[in-house]
Amino acid sequence: MTRARLIVALGAPLVLSACGSGGSPPATPTPTPAPSATVTPISYNVENCFTQTIPGTGGQTLRGLIVPDTLKLDLTRPALFPNGRKLEDPVIDITLAALFLDFTVTGQSPMTFANLPLNPPGNDKPFSSTFPFLAPPQGSPQLAATTGTSFDFRTDPDSAYTNVDRMGMPAVATALVGSSTKLAYNDATPSADAAGQFAADETLQLTHLTDAIGDDLTSLGLKLCARTS
Amino acid sequence: MRGISGPVPIAGVAAAISAALLFVPGAPNRAADHLDPPGRTDPTIDATPDLPADIADIFAWDTDDSVRVIVTFGGPNDPNRPASYDRDVLYKIMISTAPPADTPDITIRARFGRGKNPNEWGVRFEGVPGVTGAIEGPVETTLIKDGVKARAGLFDEPFFFDLQGFRESRSMGKVRFDNRRNFFNGNNDTALVLEIPRNRFAGATMPLGFWITTSRIGGQI
Repeated sequence: MTRARLIVALGAPLVLSACGSGGSPPATPTPTPAPSATVTPISYNVENCFTQTIPGTGGQTLRGLIVPDTLKLDLTRPALFPNGRKLEDPVIDITLAALFLDFTVTGQSPMTFANLPLNPPGNDKPFSSTFPFLAPPQGSPQLAATTGTSFDFRTDPDSAYTNVDRMGMPAVATALVGSSTKLAYNDATPSADAAGQFAADETLQLTHLTDAIGDDLTSLGLKLCARTS
Repeated sequence: MRGISGPVPIAGVAAAISAALLFVPGAPNRAADHLDPPGRTDPTIDATPDLPADIADIFAWDTDDSVRVIVTFGGPNDPNRPASYDRDVLYKIMISTAPPADTPDITIRARFGRGKNPNEWGVRFEGVPGVTGAIEGPVETTLIKDGVKARAGLFDEPFFFDLQGFRESRSMGKVRFDNRRNFFNGNNDTALVLEIPRNRFAGATMPLGFWITTSRIGGQI
């Protein structure tokens, strides 16, 4: 990405302190100096990240999108994650923006990271515009036969099965649910989400994430949705 | 990051984010839902990972005429491995169409079953809105009934994300993030794909809410 494109993507130049020519972006950043022993770590309150309105979502908040943990699709609005999820949507970059950025700041939006982009902008094989939409498999795997008219399906009731996994919004269970809570989360239902069973853990995990990089993102000229406390 | 001036290179933003995602306990090391929960599906954690029951992703979007739903699982898998069909796993695609948003108004159940000849597998979808009875037939085949298209099969892994850059940043202590690198390149998933006429959701009184669960007969492996 060129410097000009990066500036456009972020909405404003990210002018930081100290030295540097301002020329072509280096391949890797300047090494971070060792922190001083006297530096006091910043502690963040992430509640605003959960409650701020996310632009382009019809007034949704992060909490409204992830609780309950379902993928919401408003049929009256264009489909683009987090309104539904198309195959080509840059969900991770959009999710990172929703987790960290203050959307009241001019130039910051859910697409801030996707416009760079941080992650690969697309799949390695093109999707199809026609059914079944996914790309054909990679390599030369043996595919099942396309024959047969009689198959041996189970008919057991749901109660005979034991939960293994659940998913709604991408990356929620992996990003905002701690290791010690993962099995309980996957065994639970969206009703447990709505009842607030995992709210404290989600806040804790986002706090950990923000504590780890909040100052770095701020140094890059980005305004955090989290507040210092 | 300090000591940089002027526009920040992409690597700087990536480094900051990758550092957070790597060093925080419980933070993602897979993203989406691949290999999660690790205690049941990740071979680096679980000696008997349940690949067929491991949800990778759910996608749902609409067009002027239809609502499309894709569930991927059993990946990212080696391109030379076959699809993950398992008779003992139940896939439930749940859709909430009316308040409360945390309960399903539509439940689509999908199962796999062996055919009578070697390498024959069938898929059965039940509970698809507007469909009388089940949609049933061989995998790797587009099945059509009552205006709904359904298919199960092996496909390219559709998720894109530089997980390798995250891992290398952690192990090497330097920025390795590269938006030209997709960790999921060259891998496959098994998938369930549905295209349902949009008018089947005409009665919805709120945004549709989708989620998927997997469960196994006889308990977890």
